[in-house]
Amino acid sequence: MKTTPWYKPYFDRLSSMSLAIALLVVLGLASTIGTVLLQNQEQADYLIKFGPLWYSVFISLGLFDMYHTPWFIGLLVFLMISLSVCLWRNVPRMLKEMRSRKLVITDKALKRFHHLHHWQLKHANVESSEKLILGTLNDWEIKRGEDNGRTYIRGDKGRFNKVGYILVHSAILVVLIGGWIGAQYGFRGTMSVVENGTDNTIGFLKGTKTEHLKMPFEIRCDDFFIDFYPTGMPKEFRSTLSIIDNGKVVIDHKDIIVNEPLYYKGVRIYQASFGDGGSSIKLKLYDLTTGKIRTVDTEVYQTWRDPKSGISLEITNFRPYNIENMANPGEPKDFKDLGPAIEYVVRGPNIKSVKVKSFMKPFEMNGQNRGHLIMVSMSGEDRDYQPFALGLDFTQPNDWKLYRSFIKALGKQKGARDQKANFAAFSQAMKSVFGDKRPDDFQEMGMRVIQGMNNLSALPWPFIPILDSFDQKYYTGLELAQDPGMNIVWIGSAMLVIGLCFMFYVPHRKLWVVLSPVGKGVEVTLGAMSNRNKLGFELEFNQLLTKLDEALQPENNSGSAS
Amino acid sequence: MNAITAPRITLEGINRGLPGFARFCTYIGAIIGIASYAKFGPDGYGDDGLLFFLTASSFSWIGIGALAGLASGSVTAMLKPSVTEWVFSRNVISWLDGALLMILLATVEAFFEPGQSLINYNDQSNLLSGSIIMTMNITFLASALLYITYLFAPASIVGKLATASAWVGVYSGGSALLLRWYESYMLDTDIGHAPVSNLYEVFILMFCVTTVIYLSLERRYQARAMGAFVLPLVSAGVFFGIWLSSHGHADIKPLVPALQSYWMKIHVPMNFVGYGSFAVACGAGMAYLTREWLELRGASSKLLAVFPSLEQLDQLAYKAVAIGFPAFTLATILGAAWASEAWGGYWSWDPKETWALIVWLTYGAYLHVRVSHGWQGRPLAWWTVAGFLVTVFCFIGVNMYLSGLHSYGRL
Repeated sequence: MKTTPWYKPYFDRLSSMSLAIALLVVLGLASTIGTVLLQNQEQADYLIKFGPLWYSVFISLGLFDMYHTPWFIGLLVFLMISLSVCLWRNVPRMLKEMRSRKLVITDKALKRFHHLHHWQLKHANVESSEKLILGTLNDWEIKRGEDNGRTYIRGDKGRFNKVGYILVHSAILVVLIGGWIGAQYGFRGTMSVVENGTDNTIGFLKGTKTEHLKMPFEIRCDDFFIDFYPTGMPKEFRSTLSIIDNGKVVIDHKDIIVNEPLYYKGVRIYQASFGDGGSSIKLKLYDLTTGKIRTVDTEVYQTWRDPKSGISLEITNFRPYNIENMANPGEPKDFKDLGPAIEYVVRGPNIKSVKVKSFMKPFEMNGQNRGHLIMVSMSGEDRDYQPFALGLDFTQPNDWKLYRSFIKALGKQKGARDQKANFAAFSQAMKSVFGDKRPDDFQEMGMRVIQGMNNLSALPWPFIPILDSFDQKYYTGLELAQDPGMNIVWIGSAMLVIGLCFMFYVPHRKLWVVLSPVGKGVEVTLGAMSNRNKLGFELEFNQLLTKLDEALQPENNSGSAS
Repeated sequence: MNAITAPRITLEGINRGLPGFARFCTYIGAIIGIASYAKFGPDGYGDDGLLFFLTASSFSWIGIGALAGLASGSVTAMLKPSVTEWVFSRNVISWLDGALLMILLATVEAFFEPGQSLINYNDQSNLLSGSIIMTMNITFLASALLYITYLFAPASIVGKLATASAWVGVYSGGSALLLRWYESYMLDTDIGHAPVSNLYEVFILMFCVTTVIYLSLERRYQARAMGAFVLPLVSAGVFFGIWLSSHGHADIKPLVPALQSYWMKIHVPMNFVGYGSFAVACGAGMAYLTREWLELRGASSKLLAVFPSLEQLDQLAYKAVAIGFPAFTLATILGAAWASEAWGGYWSWDPKETWALIVWLTYGAYLHVRVSHGWQGRPLAWWTVAGFLVTVFCFIGVNMYLSGLHSYGRL
């Protein structure tokens, strides 16, 4: 008596279809978690979002980098094992089935066919009928033979349908192996290179931590160029890169854009993003108490501290273009460039820290100069920016002068502060600035100064920083990746698609024709089956019947078809 | 199964034999001509205006390709007549004819486009494609109503009208998309791009693909009652499309750098072949469940006679999945190929990617339970419906609720 080895039942279960389906469903469900929970974010963000309790639960399950946790990889490994066992058990049987084309079929088996047809040919012999039938079956792979006085014809189409099955299932193994090689021996990270700067280290997030990896070469960004659509959307960004390996320039001034990476030493270098690379910024500070103007030289990402008031300005960004839709909602769009702007955070003793976006050019509306505009965000979030009109156009020195003398004139006035007095003070200020020669646009200027008078006093800061000039410098955001398993994945993908086409579009169709002599005539039985696409085969079978009917012409043979 | 065994008589003659095969070869030749022009031509792919600024040289490439195809096809057919019965050519030829008709229709529509001076980016209400899309919306809605009417009043005229209006919808939608492609170049050659770049455009694509897959099954298997389930799905989408356009999502917008790639033209439409087939499978599944429910309730045989049999509906659902699954697999692989060229890796576990995997697993499991477990009937009908819900989430839900790299389709 043959004993079954102890592992046999486990082995069978591993390759069972129920397990495969269960695995597919569990993988599907597990994958959803990672799409709902944002992956690989900063630790602080998670803590704020979930609180310390859930944070610790989630992190112990590895849910913040879910697709690399042992349990998820375990699922994939389990799938691979199940697939391998399944292939190991089924492939030999399928190959055998593909090769062996059983010719002789019993009547009992024939009767069970869904597609079955009989012809009684009363005046015909087997040879001529067979010839006619074979002529009709010219697009079938034919095998014929005799047994026990009967002639059997077997036809096959799509005999290699099962190759599809084998290809598809091994393809998934191949893809997973390729993926594993990539994860094991590849890397992927980002590198920001400032214009005219060099770098050789990439950073990438592992869970909630950033890790660094040194590349075997250096990248120099020779130039960065960005082009915008009229709507302000970036149209193209292009980096000119040079690669320096061992002190030697191996790739010199090569352009890359999004979708067109550079390839060196098995590493692909992608254009991913861009940003300010620390542009030089010159600010003019207009002191609201003394009226003095100071200049400050600083850089983006630097913090400048005013020694006198203790107020600090942290420059967070600089943008040379700020294109906004100026139309009211519902109206046709009207895109306008508001010119260069910096963003900074103001902090200091006794004032609330706020984020400010300040434009270099004064704001123009309906052809009128409305003076400088700043956007203030109390929360520090970009979406909370509120416009605030400073009134004055700081690019025209006279605005500031007029404003200051207006204040002085108002200060000298004693007594009632009515409109008349204000007007007198204003004319006095005008006179002291311009003498008798009033400029042509003095009315517009007057409006600005009066608005400045109303608004500037609302500011909690002792000075107003205005962007005076800049020397822009970008950084280019590169993504560097190496994936030694990628080509294996492509091979697996090709196998998958080809295999699926075999499986779905080349069903294995088999037919048997049995010719048995009956008296002076022949009885012809046709049975056919298809393992897939039952509906399509129905049509095909009927076409075949029509063709056979024509060929055999049972009517002329005064036979009958049933 | 009489309905299914009825022979197809429509235009059978010109799609078979020499006329069919020679035409097939001409189309293939023209396609190879376009492709080689894109690859090797003087301006090549770089400008991407290929489709609309047909220069004399591009015409000659296409023409030479077509002629060479015609000649080689005719010669082959004469030398070996059996090639003319090639199943692939016979199956594909009517699709190619349809595509040509679509292009011709869009060309005719382009003549009615308002002049360049009346068109500008900031106010796109003048564009003709908008009105054609509105026509499509109306015909799809009408078609859905007609299909439902057909269930209760199975007069052949109602059924024919339903089918005809569905075809009108497909042709107006498809040609409007082609026209939009042209219009995007009219706005500005820099803006010009294929009309598969935002949610609104792919919605229209989805309607047309779904309907056309359904119609081809309807024609082949005489399953008109299924339309009463597929077209209402399309109509639901139409309402969403109208909502999108009323919220300013219908404008042609320039492409962000990440989308400026020929992969977009391949990856996106392929995906919608998958989504569309899954929608049709869902329609077949719903028809199955409805018929079963009607049978259990002992509905009148007159109503039941309109429906294909349960077995046929089951097979039709499977057939739709059999179209969709390989297409969706290919689309996902093409997406991976694009990602490896644009994002630094073929797979990033981006929500859209992950949901594509989930959709794939859902239908993979469907095929396993069906083919290997021998499940049939009701549970699988429910599976196609549930699978389509997963697909819809992958298509729209991810854009609405989850963030990620596919954020250009964002709402």
